[in-house]
Amino acid sequence: MERREVSFRIYRYNPQVDRTPFYDNFRIAVEKGITILRALNHIKEHLEPRLTFRAFCQAGICGSCAVRINGVSKLACTTQVWDELGGDGEHTILIEPLNNLEVVRDLVVDINPIMDKLKENYSWVKPAIPQEKMGRKEHIVSDGEFEAINAASDCILCGSCYSECSMMEVNRSYISPPVLVKAFRMNNDSRDTLACERLERVSSDHGLWDCAHCHKCMEHCTKNIPIMDGIHRLREEAFERGMTDSEGARHAQAFFDDIRDVGRLREVTLPLRTKGMIGSLGMVPLAVKMGLKGRTPPLWVRPIPDIDRVSEIYSRLEASREDAAEASNPSHGRTPLSPPYPVGGK
Amino acid sequence: MEHKFDIVIVGAGGGGLFAALEAVRTNPRVSVAVISKVYPTRSHTSAAQGGVNAALGNKDRDDTVDLHVFDTVKGSDYLADQDAVEYLCGQAPSVVRELENLGAPFSRFADGTIAQRPFGGTVKDRCCYCADKTGHTLLHTLFEQCLRRGVTFFNEYFLLSLEHADGDCQGVVTLNMATSAIEAFVAPVVILATGGHAKMYWNRSSNAAGNTGDGQAAALRAGIPLKDMEFIQFHPTGLRKSGLLVTEGARGEGGYLLNRHGERFMVRYAPQKMELGPRDLVARSMETEIIEGNGFESDAGSYIELDLRHLGAEAIKKKLPQIRELSMHFEGVDPIAEPIPVRPTAHYSMGGIDAHMAKTAVRGVFAVGECACVSVHGANRLGGNSLLDILVFGKRAGQEAAEEAPRRKALGIPPGAVAGMADEIRSYANPERYERYGILREEMGKAMGDNVGIYRVEGRLRKGVEEILALRERFRRIRLFDTGTVYNTNLIQILELKNMLDLASCVALTALARQESRGSHFREDFPRRDDQAWHLHSLCTMERDGDIRLGHKPVTMGKYSLETRSY
Ligand SMILES: Cc1cc2nc3c(=O)[nH]c(=O)nc-3n(C[C@H](O)[C@H](O)[C@H](O)COP(=O)(O)OP(=O)(O)OC[C@H]3O[C@@H](n4cnc5c(N)ncnc54)[C@H](O)[C@@H]3O)c2cc1C
Ligand code: SF4
Ligand code: SF4
Ligand code: FES
Repeated sequence: MERREVSFRIYRYNPQVDRTPFYDNFRIAVEKGITILRALNHIKEHLEPRLTFRAFCQAGICGSCAVRINGVSKLACTTQVWDELGGDGEHTILIEPLNNLEVVRDLVVDINPIMDKLKENYSWVKPAIPQEKMGRKEHIVSDGEFEAINAASDCILCGSCYSECSMMEVNRSYISPPVLVKAFRMNNDSRDTLACERLERVSSDHGLWDCAHCHKCMEHCTKNIPIMDGIHRLREEAFERGMTDSEGARHAQAFFDDIRDVGRLREVTLPLRTKGMIGSLGMVPLAVKMGLKGRTPPLWVRPIPDIDRVSEIYSRLEASREDAAEASNPSHGRTPLSPPYPVGGK
Repeated sequence: MEHKFDIVIVGAGGGGLFAALEAVRTNPRVSVAVISKVYPTRSHTSAAQGGVNAALGNKDRDDTVDLHVFDTVKGSDYLADQDAVEYLCGQAPSVVRELENLGAPFSRFADGTIAQRPFGGTVKDRCCYCADKTGHTLLHTLFEQCLRRGVTFFNEYFLLSLEHADGDCQGVVTLNMATSAIEAFVAPVVILATGGHAKMYWNRSSNAAGNTGDGQAAALRAGIPLKDMEFIQFHPTGLRKSGLLVTEGARGEGGYLLNRHGERFMVRYAPQKMELGPRDLVARSMETEIIEGNGFESDAGSYIELDLRHLGAEAIKKKLPQIRELSMHFEGVDPIAEPIPVRPTAHYSMGGIDAHMAKTAVRGVFAVGECACVSVHGANRLGGNSLLDILVFGKRAGQEAAEEAPRRKALGIPPGAVAGMADEIRSYANPERYERYGILREEMGKAMGDNVGIYRVEGRLRKGVEEILALRERFRRIRLFDTGTVYNTNLIQILELKNMLDLASCVALTALARQESRGSHFREDFPRRDDQAWHLHSLCTMERDGDIRLGHKPVTMGKYSLETRSY
């Protein structure tokens, strides 16, 4: 069996004794086929009993062991040491706690914020069946509907996406991707009766509309959940339900309208349309500054020369949406509304 | 610090969560706390892949509760208590429908009803599933409903002891893992739902690192007997290297077991059911093949192949995605292209806290799920019956607890109980101690695997008992090297090891005592079932000095009387 000497450079911090975090190096011989978690266990059992991390199932299903490995959030129990070695003979692997969560000790972070956000955002099905009738009959649910929420119900709340999310980095109050995944999963379940309230909650401040479309959550989801599809679908649903009265929704609507009408943004009126009259007043100093520097955007925006082709895209989009609506499973009793609605993407 | 609740539930797996949900639904005025050493969704219920049994009749229209009872009793090798089995199977359809009503995303048949598939040891196809992540989705559904109902959680709290005054429940003493503070929970009603103890086989176990039987050990030390501890189920298909599980669903979907001659050898052991024989039989057949030299050889030990290739890429991707992922991560094998290397792995503990319909000998203390022995599984559990067990008895305990709690007086926990635990924990750090956790644990896993495994015989069993007792002795000198109080996982390891060693001595002692073969317990020196002498539950109690005393208890029979068990 192939063996190599590998250095593990591990983030250490015990708030009781360490004034600041530091890194510890452990050099051990590792066999091919060993996971990062097995290596951590080896270090704890043979070299440093104080090394602190979480792990439970060892099978990639409980979500306990997510850490950053060489800077990327992953499950320690499903990541092979061999896959993390540099190609240049550099056999050092960096292990750090997840980002965007407080470190409790070493690699252990406080995940209560995720739990709190799940609770605040109604991350549960509110069943259509009253308590006293529970258990008598099963709902008839098409396999198609099951498939639609199947991937989203894979989430193991490991927090990797939470750690990678760009919006979390600037705003810890942001709703966060796993909570959006849950919201998508619940809102597309025909047995649930809370879709409207949930969506209102989810799309309030620091919510759905704050997502920066960076796709990082999806790239790093340990269960390969198409998180962005869920986020887009929730945004569409907000429009379908007429929840257009939020900053984010108005912003998206304004983008959509501008591109359709003139093929580019009408920047001057954008704040007005997004934030409303009062909200925009806060922007006045910025506008004045920009004006002084000669950076004022044009007041009147003329359509771009190719606006016809843009219109064609819009009508094709409309047609394909209608097709999709017809093909989609009608068991929701909720037909997607006709456009306009914003289209996601960077 | 002291907390006061009407009901305290220890364990947030499927059993504990359903108990909590049912308690607050039954009586919204009772205060309920759930204590768990891991965040609820991380409990081992999440690892259950295959499914949950219920005679819904969606697949086989002529399936009935009675047939389910029969399969279960026969599967148990007639050691199950039939009153409990009847309750289990009778409640199964409504409890599964209830989970569906609460949002569990079950896989569906074309007509939109809950899909069912075959599972080992049953005459009808009645296993309901959510792809191959049934436990995960049920656990999340229950957790979500508990959030909805505002259940109070104490996450990362570790149960240290169960307290009672002459048989009346006082509550539990716990360790707050974040701070290492010892906190008492005063409660007239306690539900233990701490999961199984099959991790005592360590590397040859499919279980999570924390399936260490903490609730069982606490009950044992509190004077509650443990029942049928010798019965440990070995799952036929653990991954060769890690012991991780390949669900029975893989055989349910039509997978073959092959020896190195490419033979589907099950034809010689269970000609009718073939790969879908009951677990104990399939596991033993595989072990025999390996012992007789028909296994494949490798550095990581001999193994058997589980071949899924003929199912086709489509079916594997859709119905067994997790299995594919596990095989690729942990064996480097894609089952679409290659067979999966497997061998039997310790998987489930049939034995546990002696309970009748979830009630224990201490008034106000319930035990449900894998930590309990109700006993619905007897000498061998059927696949898909354990998720059912946690749902049915979790729900029942929750309901009864909510009815009982207001009638019971809250008795305080004597300060001595808390101080005693604090002393014990302090003593682990004594610098004169020198035994190391890693070494003792390694030796325990080996002692159990080598001597108290699938095939058992007096000589080896005696050796097993001696080795475990010697390890218990050495444990008195174990050293806690991490003396910090913030999230001290070294301390948790030691506390878990202590529990496993106490339970391992029960398993080894009862296995040595039972001179017959029944279900998962196979004695080479007593290869037959002996109903005359051994149609009995075994009991273990702990004496004051820590010694284990053995006893017995009759089996509750019902509709089905003793028969030979063949498949
Ligand atoms: C890999 C695998 C696959 C399986 N597949 C199936 C299947 O397909 N069908 C089926 O029916 N069964 C299956 N089983 C069995 C089944 O999953 C378990 O028996 C069942 O989930 C146990 O549930 P539980 O609620 O009793 O305990 P668990 O889910 O194990 O939960 C135990 C809880 O107790 C808590 N706890 C433990 N000790 C302490 C302590 N000291 N202090 C505080 N809290 C504590 C834990 O934190 C956890 O919350 C499988 C088991 C395994 C290992
Ligand atoms: S796409 Fe949105 S949710 Fe995902 S990481 Fe980026 S900002 Fe966060
Ligand atoms: S969405 Fe993916 S990465 Fe995020 S918590 Fe869930 S499983 Fe983990
Ligand atoms: S230990 Fe459970 S996901 Fe890694």
